[in-house]
Amino acid sequence: MTAQSVARVSLVVVLFAVVQQVFLLGVRIDGAHPDVMVLLVVAAGVVGGPRQGALMGFGAGLVADLFLPTPFGLSALTGCLVGFGVGLSTVAFDDSAWWLPTVAALVGSAVYEVGYGMLGVLLGQPQMMHVDYVAIVLVVALANTILAVPAVRIVGWSLPAPQVESVPSVTISPGVRR
Amino acid sequence: MAKPRRQRRPRTTLVILVLVSITLITLEARGQLGSVTSGAKSLASDAMDPVRSAVDAVVRPIGSFFAGSVEYGAVQRQNEKLQEEIGALRQQAAERSNAVQRLSQLSELDHLPFVGSLQTVPAEVIDENASNFAATIEIDVGQANGVALGMPVVGYGGLVGQVVGDQRHTATVRLITDGQSVVGATYGKSTAALAVVDGNGSGRPLSGNLVPPGTVLHRGEVFTTSGLQGAVYPPGIPVAEVVSSRTTPSASQESVTLRPMAQLSGMAYVSVVLWGPPS
Repeated sequence: MTAQSVARVSLVVVLFAVVQQVFLLGVRIDGAHPDVMVLLVVAAGVVGGPRQGALMGFGAGLVADLFLPTPFGLSALTGCLVGFGVGLSTVAFDDSAWWLPTVAALVGSAVYEVGYGMLGVLLGQPQMMHVDYVAIVLVVALANTILAVPAVRIVGWSLPAPQVESVPSVTISPGVRR
Repeated sequence: MAKPRRQRRPRTTLVILVLVSITLITLEARGQLGSVTSGAKSLASDAMDPVRSAVDAVVRPIGSFFAGSVEYGAVQRQNEKLQEEIGALRQQAAERSNAVQRLSQLSELDHLPFVGSLQTVPAEVIDENASNFAATIEIDVGQANGVALGMPVVGYGGLVGQVVGDQRHTATVRLITDGQSVVGATYGKSTAALAVVDGNGSGRPLSGNLVPPGTVLHRGEVFTTSGLQGAVYPPGIPVAEVVSSRTTPSASQESVTLRPMAQLSGMAYVSVVLWGPPS
């Protein structure tokens, strides 16, 4: 990663954190608020593949954890798993497909929210079981679906091109039988 | 052919990141990361405050203006010629009305009977529920104002919660509705009747536990903090009132549903009680 990429990624993470803290915390639908830090992780997985998705998930998660009352590191743990998962499951698709960011944001956000709660319970936070998962998943997933396309563009501007070696490749030579 | 050595790189990265995350969570749970995370959270909060204030300064008058439009819409229609002037007056009136309401809430906090001689610090609520998974509020006072971890927070009506995060100029308060909140309480005329008031998550009623089966509880009966030795709250603060109570056959305790005495949603101001459990 070049210094320019690091600067761009940092700028984007700060931008998403500011939008989350300043604008979205006040937006409450049925007690839940949207979470664009999750969208950042999903977008990184779509744009950069599993490795960059995991790295962004971890970094963005740590930044998100600075503003959350839940255990420090929980967002980072969930973020790297979801970023990796989104990267892995979308790597086979053409990332210019119009539907890819929205579908990834919808599914990725829902998986993130449920995974965050479940990991929290596993790691000694039983109160995280007692939340309205339906409202949280619906609000976060739908808001992120709406914002997915611009988010993917912003993250695409910041991330370096994904490394080719991280994608499985097959070389077929003529005349060779299986 | 696939390149197995390089394919493992994302997985290796993931494994390292997962291990680091779990290490961070473990260290924090064991209290070995407390000062580092508290300092980092303090820095982040201090950095975000000016941005939040600037946006709030822009957005709040617009909100007040629309609030004023609803309140004085009839006046506006009758005075079309003076629309611009009235618009400006409406905005001022709405802001004044908002200020009066906030002042009234502040003065109510100044006369909380249950606080007695305990010293308090008034605070403005700057955020509600930073996480979808915890019932918390952020207030605009912190270590610089004498606020420390564990201090009780009260509002008009009763107990609001407890300070669980203390940054330099802000603090995080866990509300009594949070699933992790446990408050030792007494009820009835005898102070010997002890119970535990448990939170069940944001927006959900509280549970009264350890109430013996068959205990007669009346709707509206108030549970107050017990203040027993080692309690995390001083005695006598109203916590919640009884909504319903029933005895189920063969149950070891009464099933009690409670409603917080303090209005926990849409709070503008609270008071931090500068009190710590006696050591």
